[in-house]
Amino acid sequence: MNAEGQWMNPAPTVRPNPVLFQRNPPIAGEAEAIAAAKLGDPDAFAKLYELHKRRVYTLCLRMLGNISAAEDMTQDAFLHLFRKIDSFRGESAFSTWLHRLTVNLVLMQLRKKGLNLVSLEETVNPTDEDTPKRDFGSRDPVLAGSLDRVALERAVAELPPGYRMVFVLHDVEGYEHNEIATMLGCSVGNSKSQLHKARLKLRELLRHPERATQSPLISESEK
Amino acid sequence: MTVPSNIDFDNLKPEEFEHILPELFANGEGKVSKDPRLHKFLAANPDCAALVSDLEAIADAARTLLEPVAVAPSEQVWLNIQSRLREGTVTNGHSKTTD
Repeated sequence: MNAEGQWMNPAPTVRPNPVLFQRNPPIAGEAEAIAAAKLGDPDAFAKLYELHKRRVYTLCLRMLGNISAAEDMTQDAFLHLFRKIDSFRGESAFSTWLHRLTVNLVLMQLRKKGLNLVSLEETVNPTDEDTPKRDFGSRDPVLAGSLDRVALERAVAELPPGYRMVFVLHDVEGYEHNEIATMLGCSVGNSKSQLHKARLKLRELLRHPERATQSPLISESEK
Repeated sequence: MTVPSNIDFDNLKPEEFEHILPELFANGEGKVSKDPRLHKFLAANPDCAALVSDLEAIADAARTLLEPVAVAPSEQVWLNIQSRLREGTVTNGHSKTTD
Protein backbone atom coordinates (compact mmCIF):
# COMPACT_ATOMS: atom_id res chain seq x y z
CA MET A 1 0.00 0.00 0.00
CA ASN A 2 1.28 3.42 -0.75
CA ALA A 3 0.66 6.45 1.41
CA GLU A 4 -2.43 7.57 -0.46
CA GLY A 5 -4.14 4.40 0.55
CA GLN A 6 -3.82 2.91 -2.93
CA TRP A 7 -3.11 -0.80 -2.86
CA MET A 8 -0.85 -2.45 -5.35
CA ASN A 9 -2.00 -6.05 -5.11
CA PRO A 10 -4.67 -6.92 -4.24
CA ALA A 11 -6.67 -3.76 -4.54
CA PRO A 12 -9.55 -3.61 -2.09
CA THR A 13 -12.04 -0.86 -2.69
CA VAL A 14 -12.23 1.61 0.14
CA ARG A 15 -14.72 4.25 -0.83
CA PRO A 16 -14.67 7.75 0.56
CA ASN A 17 -16.47 7.70 3.88
CA PRO A 18 -19.50 10.01 3.70
CA VAL A 19 -19.43 10.47 7.47
CA LEU A 20 -15.84 11.60 7.31
CA PHE A 21 -16.76 13.98 4.50
CA GLN A 22 -19.50 15.49 6.63
CA ARG A 23 -17.13 15.79 9.56
CA ASN A 24 -14.48 17.45 7.44
CA PRO A 25 -16.25 20.19 5.51
CA PRO A 26 -14.22 22.34 3.12
CA ILE A 27 -12.38 25.26 4.69
CA ALA A 28 -12.60 28.81 3.34
CA GLY A 29 -9.76 29.49 0.94
CA GLU A 30 -8.74 25.86 0.83
CA ALA A 31 -9.91 25.12 -2.70
CA GLU A 32 -7.99 28.08 -4.09
CA ALA A 33 -4.88 27.04 -2.19
CA ILE A 34 -5.16 23.49 -3.50
CA ALA A 35 -5.49 24.71 -7.07
CA ALA A 36 -2.51 27.03 -6.68
CA ALA A 37 -0.45 24.34 -4.95
CA LYS A 38 -1.05 22.04 -7.89
CA LEU A 39 0.64 24.72 -10.01
CA GLY A 40 3.58 24.79 -7.62
CA ASP A 41 2.78 28.03 -5.80
CA PRO A 42 4.89 28.04 -2.60
CA ASP A 43 2.51 30.45 -0.87
CA ALA A 44 -0.28 27.97 -1.44
CA PHE A 45 1.79 25.25 0.22
CA ALA A 46 2.28 27.55 3.20
CA LYS A 47 -1.46 28.21 3.34
CA LEU A 48 -2.31 24.51 3.29
CA TYR A 49 0.27 23.86 5.97
CA GLU A 50 -1.21 26.56 8.19
CA LEU A 51 -4.73 25.23 7.66
CA HIS A 52 -3.92 21.62 8.45
CA LYS A 53 -0.74 21.45 10.53
CA ARG A 54 -2.54 21.11 13.87
CA ARG A 55 -4.82 18.31 12.78
CA VAL A 56 -2.03 16.38 11.09
CA TYR A 57 0.29 16.87 14.05
CA THR A 58 -2.41 15.93 16.55
CA LEU A 59 -3.17 12.77 14.59
CA CYS A 60 0.53 11.84 14.48
CA LEU A 61 0.96 12.57 18.15
CA ARG A 62 -2.06 10.47 19.09
CA MET A 63 -0.91 7.56 16.97
CA LEU A 64 2.78 7.72 17.82
CA GLY A 65 2.66 9.07 21.37
CA ASN A 66 5.98 10.88 20.94
CA ILE A 67 6.57 14.55 20.14
CA SER A 68 9.75 14.13 18.16
CA ALA A 69 8.37 11.26 16.09
CA ALA A 70 5.13 13.18 15.55
CA GLU A 71 7.01 16.22 14.26
CA ASP A 72 9.08 14.10 11.90
CA MET A 73 5.93 12.41 10.66
CA THR A 74 4.15 15.74 10.21
CA GLN A 75 7.05 16.91 8.08
CA ASP A 76 6.96 13.73 6.02
CA ALA A 77 3.20 13.96 5.61
CA PHE A 78 3.32 17.48 4.21
CA LEU A 79 6.27 16.74 1.96
CA HIS A 80 4.35 13.75 0.67
CA LEU A 81 1.27 15.91 0.26
CA PHE A 82 3.16 18.44 -1.81
CA ARG A 83 4.54 15.70 -4.03
CA LYS A 84 1.19 14.05 -4.57
CA ILE A 85 -1.27 16.90 -4.48
CA ASP A 86 -1.99 16.43 -8.18
CA SER A 87 -3.62 13.13 -7.33
CA PHE A 88 -6.22 14.83 -5.15
CA ARG A 89 -9.41 14.78 -7.20
CA GLY A 90 -11.86 16.19 -4.71
CA GLU A 91 -13.83 12.97 -4.31
CA SER A 92 -13.60 13.42 -0.55
CA ALA A 93 -12.87 16.40 1.62
CA PHE A 94 -9.25 17.46 1.36
CA SER A 95 -8.76 17.04 5.09
CA THR A 96 -10.14 13.49 4.84
CA TRP A 97 -7.70 12.71 2.06
CA LEU A 98 -4.84 14.25 4.01
CA HIS A 99 -5.80 12.28 7.11
CA ARG A 100 -5.81 9.03 5.17
CA LEU A 101 -2.43 9.87 3.67
CA THR A 102 -1.07 10.60 7.14
CA VAL A 103 -2.53 7.48 8.71
CA ASN A 104 -1.03 5.35 5.98
CA LEU A 105 2.38 6.99 6.39
CA VAL A 106 2.29 6.36 10.13
CA LEU A 107 1.32 2.73 9.61
CA MET A 108 4.06 2.29 7.03
CA GLN A 109 6.62 3.69 9.43
CA LEU A 110 5.44 1.48 12.26
CA ARG A 111 5.72 -1.56 10.01
CA LYS A 112 9.25 -0.52 9.00
CA LYS A 113 10.11 -0.42 12.67
CA GLY A 114 8.87 -3.95 12.96
CA LEU A 115 5.83 -3.26 15.07
CA ASN A 116 3.33 -6.00 14.52
CA LEU A 117 0.03 -4.24 14.18
CA VAL A 118 -1.84 -7.44 13.50
CA SER A 119 -1.20 -8.90 16.89
CA LEU A 120 -1.93 -5.53 18.46
CA GLU A 121 0.11 -6.97 21.31
CA GLU A 122 -2.75 -7.29 23.76
CA THR A 123 -4.46 -9.98 21.72
CA VAL A 124 -1.48 -12.25 21.87
CA ASN A 125 0.13 -11.33 25.10
CA PRO A 126 -2.10 -9.31 27.35
CA THR A 127 -0.70 -8.12 30.62
CA ASP A 128 -2.72 -7.81 33.78
CA GLU A 129 -2.06 -4.13 33.78
CA ASP A 130 -3.19 -3.51 30.21
CA THR A 131 -6.17 -5.79 29.98
CA PRO A 132 -9.43 -4.13 30.95
CA LYS A 133 -11.14 -5.57 33.98
CA ARG A 134 -14.15 -7.73 33.37
CA ASP A 135 -16.42 -6.42 36.09
CA PHE A 136 -19.29 -4.27 34.94
CA GLY A 137 -19.23 -1.85 37.87
CA SER A 138 -21.71 0.85 38.59
CA ARG A 139 -22.26 3.95 36.52
CA ASP A 140 -19.36 6.30 36.80
CA PRO A 141 -20.46 9.76 37.89
CA VAL A 142 -17.75 11.42 35.81
CA LEU A 143 -18.87 9.59 32.69
CA ALA A 144 -22.49 10.28 33.49
CA GLY A 145 -21.88 13.97 33.01
CA SER A 146 -20.15 15.76 30.19
CA LEU A 147 -16.89 13.92 29.71
CA ASP A 148 -13.97 16.27 29.99
CA ARG A 149 -11.97 16.41 26.79
CA VAL A 150 -8.64 16.77 28.57
CA ALA A 151 -9.40 13.80 30.78
CA LEU A 152 -10.30 11.70 27.77
CA GLU A 153 -7.22 12.86 25.86
CA ARG A 154 -5.08 11.90 28.84
CA ALA A 155 -6.71 8.49 29.08
CA VAL A 156 -6.31 7.84 25.34
CA ALA A 157 -2.62 8.61 25.65
CA GLU A 158 -2.41 5.97 28.38
CA LEU A 159 -3.86 3.22 26.20
CA PRO A 160 -1.56 0.44 25.02
CA PRO A 161 -0.52 1.15 21.38
CA GLY A 162 -2.76 -1.47 19.80
CA TYR A 163 -5.85 -0.28 21.60
CA ARG A 164 -4.98 3.35 20.99
CA MET A 165 -4.52 2.83 17.25
CA VAL A 166 -7.94 1.25 16.74
CA PHE A 167 -9.70 3.69 19.07
CA VAL A 168 -8.21 6.73 17.34
CA LEU A 169 -8.97 5.39 13.88
CA HIS A 170 -12.56 4.37 14.68
CA ASP A 171 -13.96 6.61 17.38
CA VAL A 172 -11.95 9.77 16.69
CA GLU A 173 -11.18 9.66 12.98
CA GLY A 174 -14.39 7.91 11.96
CA TYR A 175 -13.00 4.97 9.99
CA GLU A 176 -15.18 1.89 9.62
CA HIS A 177 -14.06 -1.47 10.96
CA ASN A 178 -13.58 -2.87 7.46
CA GLU A 179 -11.32 0.06 6.59
CA ILE A 180 -9.31 -0.38 9.78
CA ALA A 181 -8.99 -4.08 9.15
CA THR A 182 -7.68 -3.33 5.66
CA MET A 183 -5.23 -0.73 6.92
CA LEU A 184 -3.92 -2.82 9.80
CA GLY A 185 -4.05 -6.14 8.04
CA CYS A 186 -6.23 -7.73 10.69
CA SER A 187 -9.73 -9.18 10.70
CA VAL A 188 -12.85 -7.07 11.11
CA GLY A 189 -13.63 -9.06 14.23
CA ASN A 190 -10.22 -8.23 15.65
CA SER A 191 -10.82 -4.54 15.01
CA LYS A 192 -14.19 -4.69 16.78
CA SER A 193 -12.72 -6.59 19.68
CA GLN A 194 -9.77 -4.22 20.07
CA LEU A 195 -12.08 -1.21 19.99
CA HIS A 196 -14.26 -2.68 22.69
CA LYS A 197 -11.25 -3.44 24.86
CA ALA A 198 -9.95 0.06 24.27
CA ARG A 199 -13.23 1.57 25.47
CA LEU A 200 -13.26 -0.71 28.52
CA LYS A 201 -9.70 0.32 29.31
CA LEU A 202 -10.63 3.99 28.88
CA ARG A 203 -13.51 3.51 31.27
CA GLU A 204 -11.09 2.17 33.84
CA LEU A 205 -8.63 4.99 33.30
CA LEU A 206 -11.36 7.61 33.57
CA ARG A 207 -12.66 6.06 36.77
CA HIS A 208 -9.14 6.05 38.21
CA PRO A 209 -7.38 9.07 36.71
CA GLU A 210 -4.75 8.96 39.44
CA ARG A 211 -3.29 5.91 37.71
CA ALA A 212 -2.59 7.81 34.52
CA THR A 213 0.89 9.11 33.86
CA GLN A 214 1.63 12.40 32.17
CA SER A 215 1.58 11.99 28.39
CA PRO A 216 3.45 14.18 25.87
CA LEU A 217 0.21 15.20 24.22
CA ILE A 218 -1.38 16.40 27.40
CA SER A 219 1.69 18.05 28.79
CA GLU A 220 2.01 20.08 25.61
CA SER A 221 -1.63 20.98 25.25
CA GLU A 222 -1.97 22.07 28.83
CA LYS A 223 0.96 24.46 28.63
CA MET B 1 -17.72 -12.26 15.43
CA THR B 2 -21.43 -11.68 14.97
CA VAL B 3 -24.43 -11.72 17.25
CA PRO B 4 -25.69 -15.32 17.09
CA SER B 5 -29.13 -15.50 15.58
CA ASN B 6 -30.33 -17.82 18.33
CA ILE B 7 -29.73 -15.34 21.15
CA ASP B 8 -32.75 -15.14 23.41
CA PHE B 9 -32.73 -11.49 24.34
CA ASP B 10 -35.59 -11.95 26.77
CA ASN B 11 -33.55 -14.38 28.83
CA LEU B 12 -30.09 -12.98 28.26
CA LYS B 13 -27.48 -13.59 30.93
CA PRO B 14 -24.79 -11.02 31.80
CA GLU B 15 -22.02 -13.35 30.52
CA GLU B 16 -23.79 -13.69 27.17
CA PHE B 17 -24.35 -9.97 27.08
CA GLU B 18 -20.68 -9.31 27.72
CA HIS B 19 -19.75 -11.69 24.92
CA ILE B 20 -21.96 -10.07 22.29
CA LEU B 21 -21.48 -6.47 23.42
CA PRO B 22 -18.63 -5.63 20.99
CA GLU B 23 -20.80 -6.77 18.11
CA LEU B 24 -23.83 -4.91 19.41
CA PHE B 25 -21.77 -1.74 19.49
CA ALA B 26 -20.25 -2.40 16.09
CA ASN B 27 -23.45 -3.26 14.28
CA GLY B 28 -26.01 -1.17 16.06
CA GLU B 29 -27.85 1.31 13.90
CA GLY B 30 -28.30 3.49 16.92
CA LYS B 31 -27.19 3.33 20.53
CA VAL B 32 -27.06 -0.01 22.31
CA SER B 33 -28.95 1.55 25.21
CA LYS B 34 -31.85 2.25 22.85
CA ASP B 35 -31.93 -1.24 21.34
CA PRO B 36 -35.48 -2.46 21.99
CA ARG B 37 -34.27 -6.06 22.24
CA LEU B 38 -32.23 -5.06 25.30
CA HIS B 39 -34.75 -2.93 27.19
CA LYS B 40 -35.84 -5.71 29.48
CA PHE B 41 -32.33 -7.01 30.09
CA LEU B 42 -30.83 -3.58 30.82
CA ALA B 43 -33.68 -2.70 33.14
CA ALA B 44 -33.05 -5.88 35.10
CA ASN B 45 -29.25 -5.48 35.12
CA PRO B 46 -28.33 -1.95 36.16
CA ASP B 47 -24.58 -2.68 36.15
CA CYS B 48 -24.76 -3.77 32.54
CA ALA B 49 -26.84 -0.69 31.76
CA ALA B 50 -24.18 1.43 33.48
CA LEU B 51 -21.46 -0.18 31.41
CA VAL B 52 -23.34 0.54 28.20
CA SER B 53 -23.97 4.15 29.22
CA ASP B 54 -20.32 4.69 30.09
CA LEU B 55 -19.05 3.17 26.85
CA GLU B 56 -21.52 5.22 24.85
CA ALA B 57 -20.37 8.35 26.67
CA ILE B 58 -16.76 7.54 25.79
CA ALA B 59 -17.62 6.95 22.13
CA ASP B 60 -19.60 10.19 21.99
CA ALA B 61 -16.83 12.18 23.65
CA ALA B 62 -14.24 10.69 21.29
CA ARG B 63 -15.80 12.60 18.42
CA THR B 64 -14.86 15.85 20.10
CA LEU B 65 -11.22 14.84 19.81
CA LEU B 66 -11.37 15.14 16.03
CA GLU B 67 -10.80 18.83 16.44
CA PRO B 68 -7.10 19.37 17.04
CA VAL B 69 -5.84 20.25 20.46
CA ALA B 70 -4.30 23.66 20.94
CA VAL B 71 -0.90 22.40 20.02
CA ALA B 72 1.07 22.83 16.85
CA PRO B 73 4.32 21.37 15.62
CA SER B 74 7.39 23.47 16.30
CA GLU B 75 8.46 26.14 13.82
CA GLN B 76 11.35 23.91 12.81
CA VAL B 77 8.97 21.55 11.04
CA TRP B 78 7.88 24.20 8.56
CA LEU B 79 11.46 25.46 8.20
CA ASN B 80 12.54 21.94 7.27
CA ILE B 81 9.70 21.64 4.76
CA GLN B 82 10.56 25.01 3.23
CA SER B 83 14.16 24.01 2.97
CA ARG B 84 13.26 20.82 1.14
CA LEU B 85 10.93 22.75 -1.16
CA ARG B 86 13.65 25.30 -1.94
CA GLU B 87 16.15 22.57 -2.68
CA GLY B 88 13.77 21.35 -5.33
CA THR B 89 13.92 17.85 -3.94
CA VAL B 90 10.20 17.98 -3.50
CA THR B 91 8.07 19.13 -6.37
CA ASN B 92 4.50 18.41 -7.22
CA GLY B 93 3.40 15.93 -9.83
CA HIS B 94 4.38 18.18 -12.76
CA SER B 95 8.07 17.44 -12.53
CA LYS B 96 10.78 15.61 -10.68
CA THR B 97 10.54 13.84 -7.40
CA THR B 98 13.22 12.14 -5.43
CA ASP B 99 11.25 9.14 -4.25
